[in-house]
Amino acid sequence: MRLALWWSGRALSSAATLLGVSILIFAAVRMMPGGFAETILGPFATPEQKAELAARYGLDQPVFMQYWHWLTAVAGGDLGTSMISREPVSLELLARLPVTAELTILSVAAAILLGVPLGVLTAVRARPDGGAAVGRLLSGLGVSVPEFVLGSLAVFLFSRYALGLSVGGYVPVTVDPAANLRSMVLPAAVLSIFAISATARTTRDAVLGVLVEPYVTAAVARGESPWFIITRHILRNAAAPVVTLTATITAYLLGGALVVEYVFNLPGIGSYVVQAVGRRDYAVVQAGVLLAAAVFIVMNVLVDLMVGTLDPRLGVTAKGRRA
Amino acid sequence: MSPLLVVDRLAVDYRANGRTVRALDGADLEVAAGETVGIVGESGSGKSTLGAAIGRLLPRTARVDGGVIRVAGESLFELAPADLRRVRRERLGFVFQDPIASLDPTMRVGRQLTLVLGRGTGSGDVAAHLDRVKLDARTARSYPHELSGGMAQRVAIAMAMAGEPELLVADEPTAALDSQVREEVLDVVFSLAATTGTGIIWLSHDLAAVARRCSRVAVMYGGRVVEQGPAAEVLGRPAHPYTAALAGSAPATAARGTRLEPVPGRPPMLTGPSDGCSFAPRCAFVIDRCAHERPPAVRVGDQDVLCHRAGEPATIGQGATT
Repeated sequence: MRLALWWSGRALSSAATLLGVSILIFAAVRMMPGGFAETILGPFATPEQKAELAARYGLDQPVFMQYWHWLTAVAGGDLGTSMISREPVSLELLARLPVTAELTILSVAAAILLGVPLGVLTAVRARPDGGAAVGRLLSGLGVSVPEFVLGSLAVFLFSRYALGLSVGGYVPVTVDPAANLRSMVLPAAVLSIFAISATARTTRDAVLGVLVEPYVTAAVARGESPWFIITRHILRNAAAPVVTLTATITAYLLGGALVVEYVFNLPGIGSYVVQAVGRRDYAVVQAGVLLAAAVFIVMNVLVDLMVGTLDPRLGVTAKGRRA
Repeated sequence: MSPLLVVDRLAVDYRANGRTVRALDGADLEVAAGETVGIVGESGSGKSTLGAAIGRLLPRTARVDGGVIRVAGESLFELAPADLRRVRRERLGFVFQDPIASLDPTMRVGRQLTLVLGRGTGSGDVAAHLDRVKLDARTARSYPHELSGGMAQRVAIAMAMAGEPELLVADEPTAALDSQVREEVLDVVFSLAATTGTGIIWLSHDLAAVARRCSRVAVMYGGRVVEQGPAAEVLGRPAHPYTAALAGSAPATAARGTRLEPVPGRPPMLTGPSDGCSFAPRCAFVIDRCAHERPPAVRVGDQDVLCHRAGEPATIGQGATT
């Protein structure tokens, strides 16, 4: 009962969020200077030509009518048609999904597999000496160096000195798995530098917070080994902020890693949507943003469920603790 | 036979933000196997630091500045990590002030007990250990936040006593509980320890309460054990002026109608080794030596006392009111 109530509440608030996002993006796209007609027909088009084109795509109708048509179509599962390629947007997005999904999976996997142990280790070994300062500097750099700098650097180094990984040019897994991996390692590495650093930092802070908890002291007092204490008591108690961060990174990357896809010339969702913005391809931009928002909402629900499972005090079904 | 626990001239400093605070300034303590010892002192007297040091559980900001601790002959600060863990596992048990916080919030009570008891533990064993602290077997299914403070402390006691340690260190185990539950929890601790032959170090600020249950009492002040001896003697015939003042200010021992005498002045905050007796500024019997000469241990009756004037008739006997 409590769970059903929670789910319906989440569904309602998610729908409201999506609706708000859709209104915002719909309005924003139409407020951009230079409309679709100008982009397509060029600067020398006559007003008649423009009017004719606008009428064909329904752009001459009042904005709220346009919105209503679009909204009802989206609600029925139709994301619209690209005004440039004339292909259904959903198919185009689906075709680009594998690239973005692979980038996301590789980067997030690296963030968890490297960032979490790194964070735990630096927290457990933390002493007020030089090592900690170097660690903080490195993770600070990792979080703050922009992707286009790292990406350009990687592209330069690996193409100039032929270091064995291909830069640019995407090969689908289905065609050649090895070549696919070679083409994806660099962009994934560039993306994961941020993800690893952020994960390591968050993990470190969370673990440092748990280390001073009396139940950890109690476990030490019982003569438990560090490994036992870390795996049985610390990881789970420190997990909530790390799970939240990982989900945010995942959602962010699934929405399209714009810069990296651009630098490495990968046909992912990010570069597709950016391209569409330049061409005023309204349907594509709207669908892309809506998708990114939906991914964030789903991730947030997942985070709430997971955090509740990790810590019974915060659970969505926790007895009496939460209204 | 050598005592189970020996603390010899232990000095511990805390360092934070460039400041040094001396928590222990040469503390001495001996506890024999199966003995129940109450350690009494105000906040800041160093009793919690002493309790933590016995398990080498001092926080990272602490630094041992001299002295030794021996548990069953093994020098604690010289042990390799694995040996230290063995000593903690086999000989020592700890119970802390905040019972709910000392249990892992993400784990059911039964699972935590199972982890302590080791592999191959059935639910029957868990129930038996819960029964030893007068808890229902159903408690095993609860998470710590679903328990009352008293129940949580019983669980913590069950976990600390699961390995039948030789010495249980309880740092104000009832401070967070209300008075009714307090006595029940103490009953559980002392009766369980009596059946397993476990010695107890009970850290408290309540001299009278400690004297009722423990065979011996050690009084701490300014990071030193200023008086130790049989509980009845220390409470009834205090030999150190501080103990006398403490006994006089304890509400439970005061006769109806008599005025409670607080210890005048405030406890010291040491930044390094004390030059003399750290109680001197508050002491009614202070003489010149007290300020610049550290008092050595003197035997007065059955007590060991750190006081230059210990044993003088002027202080003893009339000491209860300063």
